Amino acid sequence: MTYRNQFDKELEELKLSLIHMGDMVIDNINEGFRSFLSLDIALAQSIIEKDKLVNEQEYKIEKECMRIILREQPVAKDLRLITAVLKMITDLERIGDHAADISKMTIFMENTHHHFEAKQAGLITQACSKMISQSLESFVNNDIELAFEVIREDDIVDNYFDEIKKSVADAIRSSTIDADYALYLMMVAKYLERIGDHAVNIAEWVIFSITGEHKRLNPI
Amino acid sequence: MKTENAFQIKQLNLHYGAKQALFDIAMDIPKNQVTALIGPSGCGKSTLLRSLNRMNDLIENCRVEGSVKYEDYDIYDQYYDVINLRTKVGMVFQKPNPFPMSIFDNIAYGPRCQGIKDKKVLNEIVRKALVNSALYDEVKDRLKEAATSLSGGQQQRLCIARAIAMSPDVILMDEPTSALDPIATAKIEELIQELKKDFTIVIVTHNMQQAARISDNTAFFLMGELVEYDNTDLIFSQPRKKQTEDYITGRFG
Repeated sequence: MTYRNQFDKELEELKLSLIHMGDMVIDNINEGFRSFLSLDIALAQSIIEKDKLVNEQEYKIEKECMRIILREQPVAKDLRLITAVLKMITDLERIGDHAADISKMTIFMENTHHHFEAKQAGLITQACSKMISQSLESFVNNDIELAFEVIREDDIVDNYFDEIKKSVADAIRSSTIDADYALYLMMVAKYLERIGDHAVNIAEWVIFSITGEHKRLNPI
Repeated sequence: MKTENAFQIKQLNLHYGAKQALFDIAMDIPKNQVTALIGPSGCGKSTLLRSLNRMNDLIENCRVEGSVKYEDYDIYDQYYDVINLRTKVGMVFQKPNPFPMSIFDNIAYGPRCQGIKDKKVLNEIVRKALVNSALYDEVKDRLKEAATSLSGGQQQRLCIARAIAMSPDVILMDEPTSALDPIATAKIEELIQELKKDFTIVIVTHNMQQAARISDNTAFFLMGELVEYDNTDLIFSQPRKKQTEDYITGRFG
């Protein structure tokens, strides 16, 4: 019999807020990349605007965590959960920033020629979205195996990034890519690769919330 | 480096008549540290505390089996000097219980019982005890006043001073702040951090935040059994047993 029904309810709501923030950034990544592919300036600008909502959500969750710490004096698994949430929203906010950065590339790219296919960029975007979604799922379900799976998936993201780097370098050598576009594409690829790293950070915090041990598996 | 132990408890079983209150307790209590005993009402923590200076002897039909070693001697040995034990292992209770006499006489009572008559010696014992209980500055000009004229928090510090005056090694505290206001509680908690430099402290508390704040080690009891005993940071951040986690997170009481 639990004597903390109200507290349990607050923790559930906190998790839901976190999921919502995750959904927001996944959406922004996908739409941001879409704006880049289709050179959709209006879409890019809307993503940059939407990033403000991501920042507001971070602030809201942060405030809620502080309130819970003050009011409920959590210990053990509750304290680990709230500490993990406080750390995860920082990574989600950075992911949101990178999604906005990708959209900014779209705007900068307006007058470039971009008839270069980099299918790995689309694959990286999908992989990153999946990593974020799975890392949050592992948190909600206390699924440590899924968290470790997310960490392993970062190798796939890194491989795609290396492939993009190689294909852009080859295209530059053979003059089959617009120089400006090559630079913007590499920056977008780098942002996506960093998003993968942030998703790994989130998974590491999930593992901490379950085990109490925080191992930095991503080199700083 | 192995920490020395103030107590080594082995297979301690205690009965109040037909009812068993402690089951096979085994734990070492390190010297110069604060060890907190936590658990729901009736779990045996106060019973264990009283076992450390044989206060349970005063309870009718109380039967103890097993051993509690203090300074390498089992205190339940039939020839053990219990009076001396209670000098060395002092106790402070939940409700402050100053004697109906002056502040000075309260603290001098124990030393006088030991035969100390020299006024200079007694003055120094009383002064030192009051200083070490963080009470001296508040009462130095009124030592002849009745101890009952002090506030609840001051009375509790007086009780601590009274115990310290006997130069104990250990101070047992049974919920020492549960009858006090938050400021008095904070003063006693701060005092405990100072006292552990010179004494071993064992404290029973219902207040888990207090246990987390002031103790080095925490032992969780449930229905007379020791469920988990570890470094306080570990107990409150990564308890190994689900029962411990359920209790400290308030999922059961």
